[in-house]
Amino acid sequence: MGFHMFEPCTDVACNNIFAWLNQGPLTLTIVLHTILILPMFWIYFSEKKKLGK
Amino acid sequence: MAKNNASVWTSIRFWRRSAAWVTGVAVVLLIFLTFDTMSQIRMGTDKELEQGIKRRIPAPTVINHHIDYKYDEKRGMEVPVIGKKEPFFGKEWSPKEARALLHLGKLTVQAKNCMDCHTLLGNGAYYAPDLTKAWLDPMWEKTMPAMTGKKTKEEAMAEFLMHPGQYRTHARAMPNLKITPKEAMGVVAFLKHMSSIDTNGFPRGFSKVIKEGKTGGTYAK
Repeated sequence: MGFHMFEPCTDVACNNIFAWLNQGPLTLTIVLHTILILPMFWIYFSEKKKLGK
Repeated sequence: MAKNNASVWTSIRFWRRSAAWVTGVAVVLLIFLTFDTMSQIRMGTDKELEQGIKRRIPAPTVINHHIDYKYDEKRGMEVPVIGKKEPFFGKEWSPKEARALLHLGKLTVQAKNCMDCHTLLGNGAYYAPDLTKAWLDPMWEKTMPAMTGKKTKEEAMAEFLMHPGQYRTHARAMPNLKITPKEAMGVVAFLKHMSSIDTNGFPRGFSKVIKEGKTGGTYAK
């Protein structure tokens, strides 16, 4: 059993990005949390900059 | 310049911006997923069925086809396989007839309250067997046609539905719900169609349960 970060889509409908993101270890949960949390770092540092002024 | 020790974690602005971001993304995502789900659970058309385009819910004319249930290695679950055409109650049903029959079946299932005891697509009770894939139960291949004296699976199912008391197979007997012959045909069509729905492997391990579950319990071995 090989380990693949991106698996070919085996779902019934593969014509949307969420079906693809839901395959393999790169699950939808990880993707969604990443896109939610990464911009929060930017919000954090921009607020820190403002407070410093 | 004096060092400012004010923490971002106590800043109301930071939390307000974060909350606005998370809520905004969630709203957009949920709107997208709502439309995506609506398109995925839409019933397929007869044309798509003829062309072999896979849909989670095939057109009502799927009752004219043989339905198999096979383990898909890649998906790690059993999926319905729609095969060649076969007569259903001795004939091929037109799209209009098939839709009407399925509708009658659905109304009957609702009127007779099958979910009081059975489970359909995850809804209902587990007093009696799960009906989601009932059509695929091998018991209807030989045992029940022999028991009811009928030639085909669908006729045996209809006969059983009309006179369940005469063909007892479990300790928990099904009551006679006074189902008419036409309604019984509708219910059988409804069950056949339901077995062709791709339910992402639900109920889990159906074939295994059928093979090993001598007593008919969900986890019986």
